[in-house]
Amino acid sequence: MMVKLADRLASLFMKVIPWRGTRSAISFNDLFVRFHQILEENNRAMELIAEMEDKLGGQYVFDRKFLEDTVSAIERVVLRSAYNFNFIANNKELEIYKVIESLARHLRLELAGKLVIPSGQNVLALEDIQEVMDEAVGNKVYNLFRISSLPQVSVPPSFVVTIGGFRKYLAFNNLFEKIDGLMEGCKNGQSVESASHSIRLLILNGDIPSDLRQEILKAAEKICPKNPESSFYSVRSSSVGEDGMMSFAGLHDSFLNVPFRELLSSYKKVLAGMYNPESLEYRIQRQVPFSDMAMAVLYQQMVPSGVAGVAYTLDPNLPDEQVCMLGANWGLGTVVVEGGAADMFRVSRKPPYAIIESRISEKKWMVVPFGGAEEATHVESERVNESCLTPSQAASIVETALMIERFFKRPMDIEWSLDTEGQLRILQARPLGLSRGGQARSPELKALLRERTALMRDLGVIAYRGVGSGPVWIVDDNVSLEQFPSGAVLVARYGIPLLARAIPRASAVITDVGSPTGHMATVAREFRIPTIVDTGSATDVLKNGQEVTVDAERNIIYEGRINELLHHQLLERPLFETLYEFQILRRLLRRIAPLTLIDPDDPNFTARGCQTFHDVIRFIHEKSVQTLLQIAEKPSSLLVHGGKRLKANLPLNLILIDIGGGLDETGGKGGWVVPEQITSQPMKALWAGMGSPDVWRTDPIVADFKGLMSGVTRTQTAAVAGQVLAGLNVAVLGEDYMNLTLRVGYHFTVVDARLGAEREKNSIFFRFVGGATDISRRSRRAALLMSIMEKIGFKVEGSGDLVIARVANSGGDRMKEYLYLIGRLIGFVRQLDILMTDDTTIDLYFEQFMKANNIKTTSDHKINRSDSDDK
Amino acid sequence: MTNKSTICILDDEPIVGDRLKPELEEDGYEVEIFTSSAAAIKRVEEQCFDIFITDLMMEGVDGMGFLEKVKECCPGSAVIMITGYATIESARESFIRGAYDFIAKPFRLDEIRAAVKKARKKVRR
Repeated sequence: MMVKLADRLASLFMKVIPWRGTRSAISFNDLFVRFHQILEENNRAMELIAEMEDKLGGQYVFDRKFLEDTVSAIERVVLRSAYNFNFIANNKELEIYKVIESLARHLRLELAGKLVIPSGQNVLALEDIQEVMDEAVGNKVYNLFRISSLPQVSVPPSFVVTIGGFRKYLAFNNLFEKIDGLMEGCKNGQSVESASHSIRLLILNGDIPSDLRQEILKAAEKICPKNPESSFYSVRSSSVGEDGMMSFAGLHDSFLNVPFRELLSSYKKVLAGMYNPESLEYRIQRQVPFSDMAMAVLYQQMVPSGVAGVAYTLDPNLPDEQVCMLGANWGLGTVVVEGGAADMFRVSRKPPYAIIESRISEKKWMVVPFGGAEEATHVESERVNESCLTPSQAASIVETALMIERFFKRPMDIEWSLDTEGQLRILQARPLGLSRGGQARSPELKALLRERTALMRDLGVIAYRGVGSGPVWIVDDNVSLEQFPSGAVLVARYGIPLLARAIPRASAVITDVGSPTGHMATVAREFRIPTIVDTGSATDVLKNGQEVTVDAERNIIYEGRINELLHHQLLERPLFETLYEFQILRRLLRRIAPLTLIDPDDPNFTARGCQTFHDVIRFIHEKSVQTLLQIAEKPSSLLVHGGKRLKANLPLNLILIDIGGGLDETGGKGGWVVPEQITSQPMKALWAGMGSPDVWRTDPIVADFKGLMSGVTRTQTAAVAGQVLAGLNVAVLGEDYMNLTLRVGYHFTVVDARLGAEREKNSIFFRFVGGATDISRRSRRAALLMSIMEKIGFKVEGSGDLVIARVANSGGDRMKEYLYLIGRLIGFVRQLDILMTDDTTIDLYFEQFMKANNIKTTSDHKINRSDSDDK
Repeated sequence: MTNKSTICILDDEPIVGDRLKPELEEDGYEVEIFTSSAAAIKRVEEQCFDIFITDLMMEGVDGMGFLEKVKECCPGSAVIMITGYATIESARESFIRGAYDFIAKPFRLDEIRAAVKKARKKVRR
């Protein structure tokens, strides 16, 4: 396809290019000017996105106006980029305008407080929920989905009738207008009670549209595949805004042990529950738009449980004590939830989560499902007075509960069950409602804090506000991140993406070097973990195992655990996360910031495939480069237009194209330049690695140096022969930009990098695919590349023989180091696939590369920070 | 009567006051928040605050008008202007009219806390 396109664009080799449309001709240089503008615009857009993301961390005060202004600024700059892109692409990418318009429309609706619900998805399995769907599935389901991604948390098979389904129900029964009228009446002073009553009657008397019925029943069969009709379900409300401050709904609109035949009627009951007077009152007070009033409904399989109950992460009666409360009984959780006889445990909130006190009740009854209904049955006599939890079971429930609490930043009320095999499942999690909210730290607390030893103060930048406490765990390459203990404080030299594996379990994160807009900070914000980056010295100051309290509200790290502060944070601190504007920001960002279009070879890598503005930016960038390179398919034509051949000791047929400040061309003659003439910062750094003579493998794969670069091996087969592309290697260079495309040895490498004075603008994109050998060897090489690059600090993705690695927001010295290592890596892995005959070679060459380049670990792979501009 | 310095915050977007109040209370100030300039003006006519923090762009009486009112009623107070439309022009104009400081939205909490601290020193002198 690439070749075909190149043919079509062959006319562009002409110095003056005939162009369709009103303009008659475009010069080659104009194309590069446009490309340069695209780079600038895309960078500006990325900066704006980073500014927005940064605001999620809680250290800024921003308002709705800021959100509106930033969203329109992003839209404008991306549109300009799209114009320039279409200029280069000869208006062949008009679809991108539609995509931008649709994204912008979407965002404007979000800003206006309107719910944007993906159409056509009335029923969704929990595992099919995606990050952007909170408004479609309601907060409870969304939270359950979110915590299901936390380590150690397992939830029962579930599905949800979405808010789309709810709307469908209202429309089918013509209820929109009637409800609106009643609500308007409330706003004008009519009784909330009577409006609530009327609305609930309307809902209960409606009919579920037949296709929605079918969908619900089908989904129920899917979550209980063995015996849907004799299984039990729980049916729970999940309205928008039910999390945190808006946790008004809940108590009366969940139904447990619902038999199959009542699945549909329960749906209506749950919907009606939303219009309770308290909930209506709350919305009137907070001026939450009524258009936001919408309810999704969660259906879960009632898992046959051996023991079940509730966990409170604080004792509601004695919230000052550092204990969790567990209530438990044999069988289903109904008895405990409804306040029947249950064993009560008070468990320490500190590892190893020991039971402090237990009160074993006489549990004569338990609830079990029976023949299409639930049934209370006698507990066998020997178990009546037996504790239904072992200390280790209690500890594991508490550990999980505290992790959920850390995520929600509030004492939590969690329903759990242990099945007959002892597997813990979380059925529901909601705020315990103990919060007194909105209180400043008292003078007593402040006095107490002044007495405590501050180990670090005002060093670095807060990436996510909050307070966390636990033992320090310094990232050490000899210890797997999988062993990171839940609730510890994660301390690392660099804020590398690799840490994402441990972050969800951390109570706080501190790094020596890093940026609040880097990948790692994004993960920390995603999991709401208090985070301070760029402190310079945390790995030196803090000691492994040392108990600390991280105050990421005031940027102080205290020695020891300060219960009073933790307590204040949990119970009294106003939560910025739950403010309406933060919720809007989160929603907006989901359509702006994530990158979902990564691999250009993915069939979905099209304008239509762009789901976010970041995708659009990526798409435009990649396609612009491709277009330029296709235009430049023939080296000779490139040279005619000012391309220079690089004269180096490597017979690498590399052509350099300067788009401004990339080459010092004085003294170059006959279309040749030497490496010393490269002024492009990123290319210089890359060449420092790539051009060093010891880099290229000279062992027996290919004997002579020249042959090494030609990329033709003896193992060539007809199948791979088709992959051979013209051996054209091109680098597009600007002063702070490079895009290098190498097609050697059957594999295809792209390094696209920006390296300049502003750290926020720096980025590297690396892509490697292909090879001459069979897929398993190529995949081994890919695995090797992935592990090396991840170790160095890249965010890595890939499958098969494809590797994509990215890094952003690093300071100049770090960037140079990265590019240098990439340069060396390109040489190192070339044709290495031939030697990678089994999986052990992955480790072997990994060690070899690390050793040869003196990289021991991520933690001690230190770059002298004092002279870096990593700040 | 307490000895605490008092702060009046006026911004038509409630989030600004909601976020600032606990922060500044923690620093030992007494804080009142308003989302309409009419209500804030009414309050100013009753009582002066040591420090005012006001948005610039608002419906009704805008920040500049509010600044004038404060200068008239409470000449000894310090006024910190905050606005999303951070232009040199509006900053210059508010300084000419007697604003003590000018902060562009969005701002960091520690920025405003530092500005308030500085303003308090000025008021106390």
